[in-house]
Amino acid sequence: MRGFTHYISGLAAATFFPALVADLRMGILIPVVAAASAYLPDFLDFKFGKFFCRRDYEIDPAPWDEKKHYAPKLVKVSELSEENRYQFFAVQGRVSEIVERGEETLVFKVTDDKGNVKTVEKPYKSIIFRLKDDTGTVTVEAFGEDYEFFEEEFGEIEVGKEMLVFGYVDVDEDGVRMVVSDAPHPQGIADTIARAIEEAYEKGETIIKIHNVRLPGDVYRRFLVHLDPPKREVRVEMGPIVTPGGVSIGGEVPEYRRVGIAKVNVPFIKTYPKPTRIDSFSGPEIAFRKAEFRGKTVVKDRFLPWHHGFSHSLTAGFLAGVIIYALFALLGYNHSLELGLASMIGYWLHVFEDQLGFMGSNLLPPITKDVVPGFKLGESGSGLNNFSTAWLMIALMIWNFNRFTNPRPIPIADWKLLLLLIWPSIIGYAVAIIKSFKIRREVARLMDYYTNLDAFEELEEVGGI
Amino acid sequence: MLPLSNILLWSLAGVLFGSLISWIPGFHIFNIMALLVAVFGVGELMPLQAFPFFAIGAIVAYAYVSAISSVYFSVADESAVFLLFPTQRYLLLGRGHEAVLLYLIGAVSGTLILVLSALLIFPKVLPPIYQATSPYITYFLTAIVLFMFMSEWPKEGDRGKTPLQRLWMAWKQILAGMFVFFISGVLGFLVMNTNLLPTTSAYTRLTPMFIGFFGMSWVLLNILSNPPMLEQVPDDRVESSPYNIAKASFGGALGGTIAAVYPIITGGMGALVAGHMTSQRGDDAFIISQGVNRVIYYVGAFTLLFLPNLRLTRGAAAWLVSSMYTPKSYSEYLAAVGVILLSAGISFLFTYYISKFLARSFNVVHIRKLSYVVALVLIIISYVLTGPMGVAVLFVSTAIGMLAAAFNTRRSYCLGGLILPVLISMTGHTGAFMHLLGLG
Repeated sequence: MRGFTHYISGLAAATFFPALVADLRMGILIPVVAAASAYLPDFLDFKFGKFFCRRDYEIDPAPWDEKKHYAPKLVKVSELSEENRYQFFAVQGRVSEIVERGEETLVFKVTDDKGNVKTVEKPYKSIIFRLKDDTGTVTVEAFGEDYEFFEEEFGEIEVGKEMLVFGYVDVDEDGVRMVVSDAPHPQGIADTIARAIEEAYEKGETIIKIHNVRLPGDVYRRFLVHLDPPKREVRVEMGPIVTPGGVSIGGEVPEYRRVGIAKVNVPFIKTYPKPTRIDSFSGPEIAFRKAEFRGKTVVKDRFLPWHHGFSHSLTAGFLAGVIIYALFALLGYNHSLELGLASMIGYWLHVFEDQLGFMGSNLLPPITKDVVPGFKLGESGSGLNNFSTAWLMIALMIWNFNRFTNPRPIPIADWKLLLLLIWPSIIGYAVAIIKSFKIRREVARLMDYYTNLDAFEELEEVGGI
Repeated sequence: MLPLSNILLWSLAGVLFGSLISWIPGFHIFNIMALLVAVFGVGELMPLQAFPFFAIGAIVAYAYVSAISSVYFSVADESAVFLLFPTQRYLLLGRGHEAVLLYLIGAVSGTLILVLSALLIFPKVLPPIYQATSPYITYFLTAIVLFMFMSEWPKEGDRGKTPLQRLWMAWKQILAGMFVFFISGVLGFLVMNTNLLPTTSAYTRLTPMFIGFFGMSWVLLNILSNPPMLEQVPDDRVESSPYNIAKASFGGALGGTIAAVYPIITGGMGALVAGHMTSQRGDDAFIISQGVNRVIYYVGAFTLLFLPNLRLTRGAAAWLVSSMYTPKSYSEYLAAVGVILLSAGISFLFTYYISKFLARSFNVVHIRKLSYVVALVLIIISYVLTGPMGVAVLFVSTAIGMLAAAFNTRRSYCLGGLILPVLISMTGHTGAFMHLLGLG
């Protein structure tokens, strides 16, 4: 559930205690602590836990320029190395030599939405030249659609021309070169993820951090990471440029550098049947852990490993309640026990609400060691679930305010008022439950694909891997 | 009650007045109405009973036509604070007219929701709910402020080399947000509780502060960043879906209603709450929901003045009008609902054609040059309404608005200028705070 849904649950929890409601009526605002407590699990994870998470691999497809805080980073030629392969940079320099101008037919493979691979032939123009700055010389190559764009931008490339070249770094037998492009190459991301999965199989666990690609103007290059266990491959697809609100504003990358595929030499499974989408805000952390699945040793993924751990447990809720009680008792607040209880209930409501989704939580550590799968009522961002819950909480607040005020502002029976107030939530939850059957079927179908170990074996038998 | 023909006449005059001034950056209908009353009076130019209908026409026009200044000139009031970023992007991409159309979809949807609610829901549901919850407004307000702080999304904590570096980068932004809220609050406290601004500016004393927070700071950013502009496309085309429109309308209506009914909870804060409650995503949904939100926030709040069994006075315009004449009968309430529909139709056409005209002619003037003109207009407005000290307040609040931008934190923290002094007052600490500042 979204943050405010949790938060409002804490607000509502406080209103179940007449003493706290009386305080609120008198302008004592301390009960708002219960709402803060209900939001605390996410606050701890996103404001602290996230930053302390270990990173075994850090994938930064397009490092930020340190001054401007967006990509591409302007670097000197001498700063480019083999380690930067496929990363997106900009270099400023003068053309020192035209090595080659060409016009040929390009043959390349593209993968469609269903994963089918087809071969495409296209005529293309190209140019290879050397760019020199005060630290060295680098070979620059532009071809196909990138060449057309490049020529539009700079006109004909001639020796002596001063220019800002942006593109991804590649490596060939002659060393490092720059390939003109408007995005990093997805192959680098795919390779690193594949390596992380393989290493997890050896070592037990690896955690990767994938950074997003922020471009000038507060827009982002979207890319998708598909883990495909039956095919034993990691597929990364460069998408369009999008606004932080998710609206695509074009900038599709050419097909020949849209997809990067890396094969994985160990069995792995995916625990959530959707590709990971990286665009605005920040990129995710993914943990790969060695685990037993249907009697086989595999690697399984865990999205945001720092999230929904101890912070999202009933145990932590109990501790939060005790600490809040002790703190406010020390401060001399008269209703610290009620406040502690309301805070604990608010915290628990958060844990319960998250349990309605997919991710689940580690409910009772140290008794439980890992997350208990969620009830799959809908995704955490589901508008229907969030609204139904938030509305229920608003309804409960109004109901409690009315119950604990004398004379009652709404003079009708409690049960009747409650029913009048909560019917939108009842309808919302009913629709969510009906929809959840469809979601579960879909998830089951996809999970069947994503955890299909038999497919590995079959591929191995026929030499498909 | 006035004859129907007179009601129509005065409400049409209101729409015309509102439409003519609302597209001009920095002109807020509440301030201009106050100025109108101060300069011309009401009893002489128009009958007192006509004033509420004139006002409703003008406010409806403002709720619609101000989309022009929000989109093309990036200057608006606080309730458009969430609108600024997506619309700014649309404008830079040459899709300013599309942003206005999305807003209009929301505004029309908001008008229909408001009219239906005013006829079927408000009279029965609002009075008891308001009575049950009104003693707890400070609770809600404090809760929203606390949530704003707690939910700030750290945008730049990812790329630090060590965990502590990452933590500091993230918290720098969060702490800056708190600082912006606090200094905005201090400025608001001074503006509200001292003689910093002349007493003759009673109705407009917050104007320069808000122009600085949300208008001038944005204009300065336009000047400093000198954004590259694409040619504006005046085509009548929007990218959205019926589902997005329905969802955004629902969220916008929820936020607008919360802001309209409860004092101090502004349109921007209502939008924040409702956006989270309905889990909104996407720029198109944002802009549509803001159209709904602003219509319900402004027009809905004013309509509550007409509701005989509630008669809430919400917003500066309602206070201004109620100080002269308060509508009393259901006939007036029903007439007001009719006037909303009529005014909305006319305002829609105004907004649409102004946007079309601007989209065609916008390419002639670069946003940077335009921003210089807007900046000058804003300084003049502040001077006319509040004198030289108003201009000083404008500069200080502009600096605070720029600070929020510099730290990449929420600009809505500038609402501290309104919220902090009100919270201090509601909890009875005005004297103590004056003492703390060495003023009392």
